[in-house]
Amino acid sequence: MGEAIVITSGKGGVGKTTTSANLGTALALQGKKVCLVDTDIGLRNLDVILGLENRIIYDLVDVVEERCKVHQALVKDKRFEDRLFLLPAAQTTDKSAVNPEQMKKLVLELKQDYDYVLIDCPAGIEQGFKNAISGADRAIVVTTPEISAVRDADRIIGLLEAEEGLEPPKLIINRIRSGMMESGETLDVNEITTHLSIDLLGIVMDDQNVISASNKGEPVVMDPTNPAAIGYRNIARRILGESVPLMTMEKSKAGFFGKIKNMFSK
Amino acid sequence: MTKSQLITIKGTKDGLVLRLDDHCAFTELLGELKEKVQSSVLEGVSEVQLHLGHRYCDEKDMNKIQSVIHTSPHLRVSKVHSDVISLKECERKLIEKQSETYIGIVRSGQVVKADGDLVIIGDVNQSAQVIAGGSIYVLGRVKGIAHAGAQGNKDAVIAASWLEATHLKIADKIEIMTDELTILSEQPEMECAYLQKNGQIAIDRLQELRYLRPDLATFKGGI
Repeated sequence: MGEAIVITSGKGGVGKTTTSANLGTALALQGKKVCLVDTDIGLRNLDVILGLENRIIYDLVDVVEERCKVHQALVKDKRFEDRLFLLPAAQTTDKSAVNPEQMKKLVLELKQDYDYVLIDCPAGIEQGFKNAISGADRAIVVTTPEISAVRDADRIIGLLEAEEGLEPPKLIINRIRSGMMESGETLDVNEITTHLSIDLLGIVMDDQNVISASNKGEPVVMDPTNPAAIGYRNIARRILGESVPLMTMEKSKAGFFGKIKNMFSK
Repeated sequence: MTKSQLITIKGTKDGLVLRLDDHCAFTELLGELKEKVQSSVLEGVSEVQLHLGHRYCDEKDMNKIQSVIHTSPHLRVSKVHSDVISLKECERKLIEKQSETYIGIVRSGQVVKADGDLVIIGDVNQSAQVIAGGSIYVLGRVKGIAHAGAQGNKDAVIAASWLEATHLKIADKIEIMTDELTILSEQPEMECAYLQKNGQIAIDRLQELRYLRPDLATFKGGI
C-alpha cells in the first residue's frame, strides 16, 4: 500500500505542477512506482509538462463516472518503463465534475498499485482544493519567497491542519533567487519557515532551464547538474526518508563570476 | 405632615453627592429633583456624583435624570453610582471575566473567538483574526487583527510578546497600524494596547499595564 501526497500552494503560479512533475520523475528515478494525478480539472497542465499530452485517451472524470477503468486512463511515461504514470484531468468540464468522496475512492485504489500517488492540486481553496486533499495522507505546500505566496501558503496550511487524517504539512520554497535573498530583497528561507512554522522539506533554486525543460515536455530533474534539479532530487530523497543536508546558497551562486573568482584564487 | 426628603445633597471633598431615594416612584423623584436643582443656591459649576442606591435605571431613565440636573447651569454630573445592575449586564460581565486558551498558530483567514478573555499561545499571522469579549493576551507575535472588548468593554486590552498587528480594535474603536502612526515602536516587544480616556488607542510597555488597568488583576492576597 503506497502513500498519497498532495502538492498544494493556495496561490497560483508558484510551481505546483512543475514540482509535481519533477518530484514524480525524481521518485521514479529512485526506482519507485509513481502515479501522478492531475486534479486541475478544466485547466490541466501536468500532461504538457511531462510531454504526455498526445497520449491521453481517458481522463479523471471518465474514471470517476465509470466510463472506463483506472488503468485504461493512466498514461505511461515511456522513459521510465513501468514506474511513472499520469492520470490526466479532464479539460472539457470543471472542478464540480468530481466530489471529495469519489477522489478518496480513486486515490485509495491507486495506492494499492503504486508506492507514491502524487496529487497535483489546483490553485484556490474551493472545490478543486477540497477534492485534491480528500484522498491524501500527506501534504506538501509549495511557496515562493514572495509575501503574497507566503500569505496564501499560511491560509492553506491552516486549512490542511484542520483536515482530519492528514499528517502535518511540509514546506517547499520554490524559485529562490539567491542574489535577491542575500540582499534582503525577498524573504529568506529562515523568515519563511519561522513565519509558517512547519517543517521545511526543501528549497529549489530559480533556474531558466526549468521553463525550457517544461516547454520541451521533459522535467528539469532529468538533468543531474541543474541546480533546480538537485533541489528536486534532494526533496525526493527526503520523501523517501533519507536525511539530506539543505542545499547551500553559495553553491548555486558559483555562476560566471564565481568561476572567474575561483580561477584567480587558485 | 412633613414629607420625607427624596433627595439629599451632601458636600464632600470630591464635590457634591446627590443621594436619590430608591423607594419612591420615578416621576416623584424627577419632580423633586427639578425643584431642588432650580432652587439651589449654587454658584459657579460644581461636579455632582449621583448615588442611585438600589434603583435600577436604564439608559432612558438616566438620560432623564441627567437632563433635569443639567437644566441648572451650576451642576455637572461626574459619576453615577448604583448598587444594582441588570441580570443581562451581570451575565455579560461574568462571561467577560472567563478566560479561554488557544494553543497553536492562528493562520491567515482563521478567526479565533472567545466571549471572555482570550489567551493565545502561538502567533497570530497576517490576515488572521482574534476576537474577544474581554482582553487578548498573546504569547507570541500578533501580525494580524486583534479585537478586544468586542461587546463594548472599553477597559479591555491587547497584550502580546510581539505586537505588530495590522489592525487593533478595542470596543468600537479601530486603529490601522500604518507606518505613519507615531505610537508604533521599532521593536514592538512586550507591549500592550489600550483605549485612552480620549477614545484613542494607545500602545505602551507591558509593564505599564498594572498602572493602566489595575482592575484586570484577579489575584488577591499578599505575599
